[in-house]
Amino acid sequence: MSLHIVVCVKQVPVSNNLKIDPVTKNVMRSSEPGIMNPFDQNAIEAALKMKERYGAKVTLLSMGPKNFEITLRQGLAMGADDAILLSSRAFGGADTLATGYVLSQAIKALGDVHLVFFGRQSIDADTGQVGPIVAEFLNWPQITYISQIYPVDNKSIEAVRLMENMEQSIKVTLPAVFTVRSELNEPRYATPRNIMLSYQKDIQVWDEKKLDVDPNRIGIKGSPTVVRKVWTPKKIVKKSESLGEDPDRAARKLLQILRARNII
Amino acid sequence: MKHKDIWVIAEHHQDMVQPVTYQLITKANQIKGDKRIVVILFQTKEQSLEKDIIKYGPDEIIIVESDKMKDAPDSLIADLLAQLDKRYAPNSVLFGATVIGRSISARLQAKLQTGLTADCLDLSFEEDLLIQTKPSYGDNIMCEIICPNHFPQMATVRPNIFVAQLSDKKEVKLTKEKNLEIKSHNRIQVYEEKPLLSKSDSIANANRVIALGRGMSSQRGIEISRELASKLGAKIGVTRPLTDLEPFSVDDQIGQSGSSIAPKLLITLGVHGAVQFTTGIGKAEYVVAVNNNPKAPIFNEADYSFIGDATDFVEALLKIIQ
Repeated sequence: MSLHIVVCVKQVPVSNNLKIDPVTKNVMRSSEPGIMNPFDQNAIEAALKMKERYGAKVTLLSMGPKNFEITLRQGLAMGADDAILLSSRAFGGADTLATGYVLSQAIKALGDVHLVFFGRQSIDADTGQVGPIVAEFLNWPQITYISQIYPVDNKSIEAVRLMENMEQSIKVTLPAVFTVRSELNEPRYATPRNIMLSYQKDIQVWDEKKLDVDPNRIGIKGSPTVVRKVWTPKKIVKKSESLGEDPDRAARKLLQILRARNII
Repeated sequence: MKHKDIWVIAEHHQDMVQPVTYQLITKANQIKGDKRIVVILFQTKEQSLEKDIIKYGPDEIIIVESDKMKDAPDSLIADLLAQLDKRYAPNSVLFGATVIGRSISARLQAKLQTGLTADCLDLSFEEDLLIQTKPSYGDNIMCEIICPNHFPQMATVRPNIFVAQLSDKKEVKLTKEKNLEIKSHNRIQVYEEKPLLSKSDSIANANRVIALGRGMSSQRGIEISRELASKLGAKIGVTRPLTDLEPFSVDDQIGQSGSSIAPKLLITLGVHGAVQFTTGIGKAEYVVAVNNNPKAPIFNEADYSFIGDATDFVEALLKIIQ
């Protein structure tokens, strides 16, 4: 049995310096189309390592507008075999619940999937929720925030989940959902040959008609959360007191201040 | 009463309830209005962590005791929480925005098909509606999120945003929950949980922190910074680029995707002050910034600043601190 691995990827804005449209309150995305979420590169790398070891088909899966093909093309150039873009107006405005639902229905439609990889979180919304939501909808076990993977065979995998000040060793029997940390691996670069080959690979576009989805559970309709207000936090600039230019005098002055304030 | 309880899901490791659980109880007590604070505690029969939690003054602690709670997988805890939700119909469910909190809450969200807001920095109520403030795009944008038509309203809350306070409340109801169906989740097995020897927990809770950035990443720079740290009784944290450098790791990282810190004294050495870093130091009381670039944004966060070489500055300090 050859493994079929799905890697879910997201395209995120290039820059963190975003502006808010004063009228619509929406985030004004720059005209640049965006980049692959960095943690998703670790997810693709992990899938490709499994492929090299056991033989596997690696399918990329993303939900978003047509220009997300840029990210999918990049993943194909890294070595993934094919890609599916879930793209439709009906999917727009989805929060994590509606996104996780559509992704899980797509994975069910593929049918023979053994392992789904995600990056630990996207760097724009920063939730890390979609992986566990997909795991729940598929009713599969999950290992999140993975820092090490030790495949046992092509049916079970051991992994280390890195937490704030702990780590867990976990063994799972496939199928399962994994979310991975950047500590797991160093994503490979696409070679010129693979970039060329990627253009012969197929990116399928699926919409809601292609999937078995409940129309009330997708897009804005299927999203319980509402963004009521968006603003850029006012930067509080502290009045900084200079310690001077001479290191010895500055050190003495600092020590004096810290002692006077009973800090040391 | 339906939709009148605020749940705080207790997180604990190695018999220690995590500080974020206490922080959430305190915050919930401040905003609860006519609602009740109920802590949900999963533990083994040998544990009695409710004794620690009581001190922070929730209205009730619901305790689920089972040997299966030792190293329970996320899916099992989410399953038990869904059963409890059916029984009690809480207004809202709060988790720490930790690895475990984020992983279990999202599974529970899918089970209950409700809203979940990640990594909140503030919470308040408008009657029964939970107003959730969360950052987005690397803390450059703040969003106010609500979940108007579904219960429970769920949120994970960033650790160390709120300060835990002991309470003198006398009446805390203890409920040992019975008759939950503890299904077997035998396809997944957590077979070991061990503390890391690293210091992430100690920077998050340390009173004094020295933060090193790229401008202080030389062998010599690290060496004298450690000497200063030991003289001041401070812990060392780093910016993201230094996590790849021996002896540091991601657990020493301050800021977004690292730890938020709340020390009385923070000395930053050779730290430029990108927003991904400064987001983690908002709670520091006194900030001393040392950097040779006068335009470095770190100076906007500083109470005291030294524009110059960080190595020279630390050496000068070492000469006069006994």
